[in-house]
Amino acid sequence: MLSIGYVLKRLLQIIPTLVFIVVVTFLIVRLLPGDPASAILGDKATDAEVARLHAEMGLDRPLIVQFGNFALRVVQGDLGTSTAVKLPVGRIVLDRLPATLLLTVMAAFLALLLAVPLAFVAALRQGRLGDTVIQGCFQVGLSMPVFYVGLILLTVFAAGLRWFPVGGYGDTYLLHLYHLFLPALTLALSLAAVLMRNLRTAILDALTADYADFARAKGLPTRVVLFRHVLRNALISTVTLFGLNIGTLLGGAVITETVFAIPGAGRLMIDSIYARDYPTIQGLTLVLAVLVSVAFLLTDLVQASLDPRVAQ
Amino acid sequence: MRYRWSALIALVAAMHVGTAAAVERGGVMTFGRYADSLFLDPASTEVNVDIWILSNLYDTLILPSDDGKGLQPGLATSWSFSGDNKTLTLKLRDGIKFSDGSPITSADAKWSLDRTRNPDTGAWASLYESIDSIAAPDPSTVVINLKHPDPALLPVLTAFASAVMPSKLIEATAGATLADKVKAFAEHPVGSGPFKLQSWKHDAEMKLVPNPYYWRMGEDGKPLPYLDGVTFEVIPDDATRILRLKSGELDASEFIPYARVEELKNDSSLNMELFPSTRIEYVALNVRPELDGKPNPLANPKLREALNYATDKDAIVGIVTHGVGTPMTSFMSTATPLHVGDKPLYPVDVDKAKQIMHEAGLDKGVKVTLMTLAGNEDEVGIATALQQMWKEIGVDLEIQQIDNATRTAAYRAGTFPSRLSLWTDDIADPSEITSWALYYPAVQSFHTGWKNDKAVEIFQASQKEMDPAKRQEEYKQLQEIFNSEGPTVPLYETPYPVALAKRVQGFNQLPLGNNLFAQAWLKK
Repeated sequence: MLSIGYVLKRLLQIIPTLVFIVVVTFLIVRLLPGDPASAILGDKATDAEVARLHAEMGLDRPLIVQFGNFALRVVQGDLGTSTAVKLPVGRIVLDRLPATLLLTVMAAFLALLLAVPLAFVAALRQGRLGDTVIQGCFQVGLSMPVFYVGLILLTVFAAGLRWFPVGGYGDTYLLHLYHLFLPALTLALSLAAVLMRNLRTAILDALTADYADFARAKGLPTRVVLFRHVLRNALISTVTLFGLNIGTLLGGAVITETVFAIPGAGRLMIDSIYARDYPTIQGLTLVLAVLVSVAFLLTDLVQASLDPRVAQ
Repeated sequence: MRYRWSALIALVAAMHVGTAAAVERGGVMTFGRYADSLFLDPASTEVNVDIWILSNLYDTLILPSDDGKGLQPGLATSWSFSGDNKTLTLKLRDGIKFSDGSPITSADAKWSLDRTRNPDTGAWASLYESIDSIAAPDPSTVVINLKHPDPALLPVLTAFASAVMPSKLIEATAGATLADKVKAFAEHPVGSGPFKLQSWKHDAEMKLVPNPYYWRMGEDGKPLPYLDGVTFEVIPDDATRILRLKSGELDASEFIPYARVEELKNDSSLNMELFPSTRIEYVALNVRPELDGKPNPLANPKLREALNYATDKDAIVGIVTHGVGTPMTSFMSTATPLHVGDKPLYPVDVDKAKQIMHEAGLDKGVKVTLMTLAGNEDEVGIATALQQMWKEIGVDLEIQQIDNATRTAAYRAGTFPSRLSLWTDDIADPSEITSWALYYPAVQSFHTGWKNDKAVEIFQASQKEMDPAKRQEEYKQLQEIFNSEGPTVPLYETPYPVALAKRVQGFNQLPLGNNLFAQAWLKK
């Protein structure tokens, strides 16, 4: 159904995006005010120590040389060494990324699990009590900051009812899933609210569209009309919205990882920025950019398979 | 004779403690930290998250006393200065071993101290400036030759940076340079302290287990530590760290926010500990005549005095520390050795402040700028309080919120107008903070440009004064000078708030911040 040409074209489009992101990240960290060496060393450092670290970080060389070295290493798959923890950036990112990915995937899954059925209920019961309750609940969820929702869930379901651990990540794969449930739910709630409202409107539109009337007139059962005709068309805009929100989900992971004490990539990013750990900021940004680009690509492919006009 | 008496007193004290609560061995203590360590190398690390736990992995020749202000034998059992105070000879304990079972020798001590005092490899080299050379004439003797007598040398030898590391093992580690070898070694360190590193998942969890070869004996006559291990869990969010402690998943939680200290004090399942610290908070005022080519109002000592009298420290202690802190009684903390002073500096007196402003001809008012850290709740709280307080005497305070890197750069360059500053000592000696505060040649007095020739002269003399009574007198004078004329508005000092589960006994945090687990134990 999808032409290989379309997939290839989309893949090639990712490359300039990534180059652009690498250049911008490299420049942005260097535009931050204040000297990174003295920021890392703090108020008590002597001038000699600052100069020593400056040289160690290669910051005494011209910008273009610094970028050349960085780009050359990236092409060879080497992201450099962290100035904060003195470990290879590639290893740190690989170490921290799985938790964030698992959290994001779980959150996305939970968000869909919540949004799709509830959107149907709300749409089919438009204006009635069910619709009002569902919309009301999501409105509240949407208005509350993520860290607050997280703390409430922790206090009630972890510290209070003892159904879940109070933060952390666990040691085994199953324990990871168990530990990540509440943080994933925290993230899912805000995304589910956005998706649900969008899908509800789309379903309402599709329900009143001519093709839905036609399908019903043909005598098709409601179930078939809803799933084959209404849902498929209503999902197109929701998939786009879902894809666009993957980036937001990764952003939300920063806060969720802090509240739930998960050693993920989001927290790594924040810590690295505070520590002015240039190699880690650059490496992590690059890896996340690749992931978001892949997510966008997948979104486009799903969309194209739902609506063949997109691929043309 | 004096030594024997103190030994007897110690014995009696130990017996007393022994009858009060017999120590119990075993169990793993879980400790919630606000941030993870970065790089556990005593010589090169600059940050408290490393410094504050290093003493569990590495011992020093001399250990700090339990209150952090004095000395006690460590890897060395005795030490003595030569008659001219320019040579220090230390004798190592018999049979001491690293955590891999290899012997600790004077060569390890020499190698470690030489790396620390070398400015190319040691971040704290300036503290060891008085050392001329170190010798290891036999495996159990370390001889430190000094350029000049140094009264701070013994406290410096108790500091984290003086840790004894296994020289042969590090030199034998793979790596092109010494720095590379140290990086590789730090992943699987072998140490001389009560614990050794078992595993470390960065930003999540660090596990320490007992060093089976540790020399120090516990109250029960067996080697320390009492615990089967310490597990550090990294939980950056204050609320989550407390929730985890309350639900019994942690035995301890550090850096309790001041606002919640009272609540946890009232929790019957916890001991809310406030360990004395050297942490102080003050406003540093740039006193240079011109800033940015314009006349600097803070160059006028009268204005600085008026600002001090206009500042209600008790109110700030209440607003920012929720009553946990106390107003400063000298420019150094009460936990710093040789601190003098029992009354808060510049008790608030707005009328007097107005009078001084009037005498100085500043009735029309002046504008002052204060650099604060953007997003830092404490600093914003202090700054807005100061803004209101100083307004009463006609000082219009402009609060400039900037990030740390920018502020540090302006601070070091001496171009900042005024700033909020936080300080903790790194050695159990007043010379570190004093050299920063008033010894102009070091960093121009907290980078403010303030210069007092008499203070510089007394400080220089005190740095070579080996008579404790005379040095104490010198420090009394230094504090009098700085506290009456110094370029700061002293605000408050705060303890370290650590909440412990009731079953935790014997945990200690020194005024310098070191978290000590060697004598911690868990009541069953």
